[in-house]
Amino acid sequence: MGRPGLIEIAIVVMAGLNVVMILLTVAVKVARSLRESWLKARRSRIESALDDFLLAGEVRPELRRLRARELDVLAATMIEYLTVLRGSERERLLGLAVELGLVKRYAGWLSSQRRWRRARAAENLGYLGGSDSVGGLAKLLSDRDETVRAVAARALARIGTQEAAQALAQTLNDPSDLTRLRVAENLERIGPLAAPSLIDLLSSEERRSPILAARVLGNLRLLEAGPALEAAARTGTNVDLRAQATLALGKTGDPEYVPVLLEAAKDEEWPVRAQAANALRMIGEVSTIPTLKNLMADREWWVRVNAARALANFGAAGERALVDILEGEDRFARERAAATLEAQGITRRMVDDLASPGERGERARHVIRAMVKTGSTRHLRRILNDMPEGDNRRVLKKILAENNEL
Amino acid sequence: MSFNQFILGANYFVLGYFLLINGVYALLYFISFFEIADYTRREIFSGFSELFTSNYAPPVSVVVPAYNEEATIAASVRSFLTLRYPLHEVVVVNDGSRDGTLDVLKREFDLWEYDRPTRLQLQTAPIRGIYASTTERLIVVDKENGGKADALNAGICTAQYPLVCCLDADIILEEDALLKAARPAIEYGDVAAVGGIVRVANGCEVDAGRIVEIKTPRRALPNLQVVEYLRAFLAGRTGWSKINALLIISGAFGLFRKRDLIAAGGYSLGTVGEDMELVTRMHHVLRENNRKYRIVFVPDPVAWTEVPATLRVLRRQRDRWHRGLLDTLVRHRKMLFNPRYGIVGLFAMPYYFLFELLGPVIELLGYIAFVAGLLLGILNARFALAFFLVAVGLGALLSVAAVFLEELRLQRYPSWRDMVKLILYGIAENFGYRQLNTLWRVMAIFSFLRRNTDWGSMERRGFEQAKPPETTPKREYEEVKTSRDSE
Repeated sequence: MGRPGLIEIAIVVMAGLNVVMILLTVAVKVARSLRESWLKARRSRIESALDDFLLAGEVRPELRRLRARELDVLAATMIEYLTVLRGSERERLLGLAVELGLVKRYAGWLSSQRRWRRARAAENLGYLGGSDSVGGLAKLLSDRDETVRAVAARALARIGTQEAAQALAQTLNDPSDLTRLRVAENLERIGPLAAPSLIDLLSSEERRSPILAARVLGNLRLLEAGPALEAAARTGTNVDLRAQATLALGKTGDPEYVPVLLEAAKDEEWPVRAQAANALRMIGEVSTIPTLKNLMADREWWVRVNAARALANFGAAGERALVDILEGEDRFARERAAATLEAQGITRRMVDDLASPGERGERARHVIRAMVKTGSTRHLRRILNDMPEGDNRRVLKKILAENNEL
Repeated sequence: MSFNQFILGANYFVLGYFLLINGVYALLYFISFFEIADYTRREIFSGFSELFTSNYAPPVSVVVPAYNEEATIAASVRSFLTLRYPLHEVVVVNDGSRDGTLDVLKREFDLWEYDRPTRLQLQTAPIRGIYASTTERLIVVDKENGGKADALNAGICTAQYPLVCCLDADIILEEDALLKAARPAIEYGDVAAVGGIVRVANGCEVDAGRIVEIKTPRRALPNLQVVEYLRAFLAGRTGWSKINALLIISGAFGLFRKRDLIAAGGYSLGTVGEDMELVTRMHHVLRENNRKYRIVFVPDPVAWTEVPATLRVLRRQRDRWHRGLLDTLVRHRKMLFNPRYGIVGLFAMPYYFLFELLGPVIELLGYIAFVAGLLLGILNARFALAFFLVAVGLGALLSVAAVFLEELRLQRYPSWRDMVKLILYGIAENFGYRQLNTLWRVMAIFSFLRRNTDWGSMERRGFEQAKPPETTPKREYEEVKTSRDSE
């Protein structure tokens, strides 16, 4: 037999490479199937042992003899149990995690060189670690990997102590938008315990953290945050901070802050005025209707929209204010009022009352006439086309005809 | 130089070219392998459920151009409205449809005329009206016909949120696709655009605008495209994304930061490759403005699309893609080999020019020189045959490697049968399908030189399932581009 030629070499090399790649692909699938079977079997045994522990308080010897990989399965199973368990059973399970060395194992992993190991450790300690893990997890909030930082933030939120909140609040200025966002939502999850740290942040010199702190405090709707939010709304140098603090005051629902909000409604920056309108809607104090009517004539569209929505939320008094605006001088305000009455379904309700006797019918006819005068008749014409024959339809047709809108 | 020397020289040139292109492919696969590994590990700790319920995630506007979509628009919009995302609006742009698209939308979503001011920061055909739904976060822009790019521009101007996701009306998105696509943009303020993976929906079962069972297609042609898409998206785009030189985000599914999209001038009118042209222009503009930015591809947020099932439609699609590529390269020729544009000018643009655009020409030249060399007896027949076998073997290897990558990291096709099928089609595509594509792409260059700007038409057969089969011929308005960076 002679030496192999080029063709033979080409065939052998190419076929060889392709066969190796195909075998690798098949091997991956086989390995995955085997791993899944192994996991299923291990989980089943571990679940049974944990059930025994919870029912009889006995730790099966096999739980103490688990190998390293099996310990991860044990941790994952325990975490599933912890998400549904409450009270003493939960405490016992957490005690078992310490006893079996899980907490120590993952605490050691927190300083691993491998980032996924650090992330896994943080994730598991969030469930199993308790307040003793806060220090280690807080260090991970400045980890070089964004995912690790986010997992640590989540873990601290799960632990939920004041120390955890304090550590989290310090990272509201993280360079990653996603981490900041996650820290904020985790602080919200911790709840009132996070308030002191967040209130401190409102006066921070940093750019981003006070804004997020105001937002979280707003979502927590804590009355105790009111004075600090008031100060931020009045004196904040950043527009976004003033806007967020104004909105947060509205979310407290406390009428005590109405004067601050009325002041914010005159702010020279439109985002603050827009949030002042939203905040006034949330507090719902009727005495603020004149201010909202003024905001309806604001030069910025979003301020007018928010003010109109706020008025629509004030019930009969707000509707009256919107109708007044319909009869006013400002064209933009008139159009906005008409659009709001339409969007809130008030126009449709009025049309259904057109032929009603007494004050109700009179008021409905008054509102519809005012709308027609603003020129906002397209919606009314559509209602006319869709509604059945009857007195209401007849009156609407008459009003439209009087104004040559048919 | 004699004719014989020329033929011999041509063969050596093709050999050198072949080694170079495969070297680049190997590099891209190498990068992709580690990048996808990193992505899938990161996914484990992503906490997407938390992100979904977050009050802090930036809202997204989903922009959907629609042209004569009367039959399917309501179902499509419903599926977009029910995507898992904390806060998103859907902006449908009715691009002067001649059927009842607008009426269907008005009826199904209780639309009313909307007075929110729209700043037309991009060029669009006249807008006839803007409507909002009383029950859903849906805005409908009714405008005169101006084409897909024009409609997208109108939608982008109308979108009120800082992130804009541009979709085709008949694309099927997985429920959390928006969340996964938005994540890089939420994570880093310098991410200007995000592309997601587009997969072949032929053969899959669809219900209520969602894929309920993933299967490979029954017919050969779509199966060949499944492998092609895997290669293009998993190996190609992931690699380009890692080095921030991604030049194409599929027009069927891309997410952009509105600010950067508008700064780049939005979608360009008068090109058949508007998606590639846009991304290239974003690189062009952002680099000229010395902006620190990234354009990224994420291999997991999945959009499903129906691919051509006949050679006739496939030929038209490939013709248009190649014309689009050529058009983009001509428009941005200034970037080619220009160090001012960094890795895009020095690596990505030359790659697309030398390998994607000229690749088919050189491959065809290679076939001709190969045959001529053999006929004239100036080529060593054994060497030539060995070279041919290596070329085919490497082609098959790249395809099988893409299936391997899919199986290793993403595992979308759960059955053994599908995996074996994909491997076989990965090998089979090198015998006939690849050569046909080469020929179509060479013809597309001549077509471009004749200034052909047709979109052609796309016939869709509909998915396997509850949805009635769609037979209305459409403009090729909703297709996806992939394989220009796959070959």
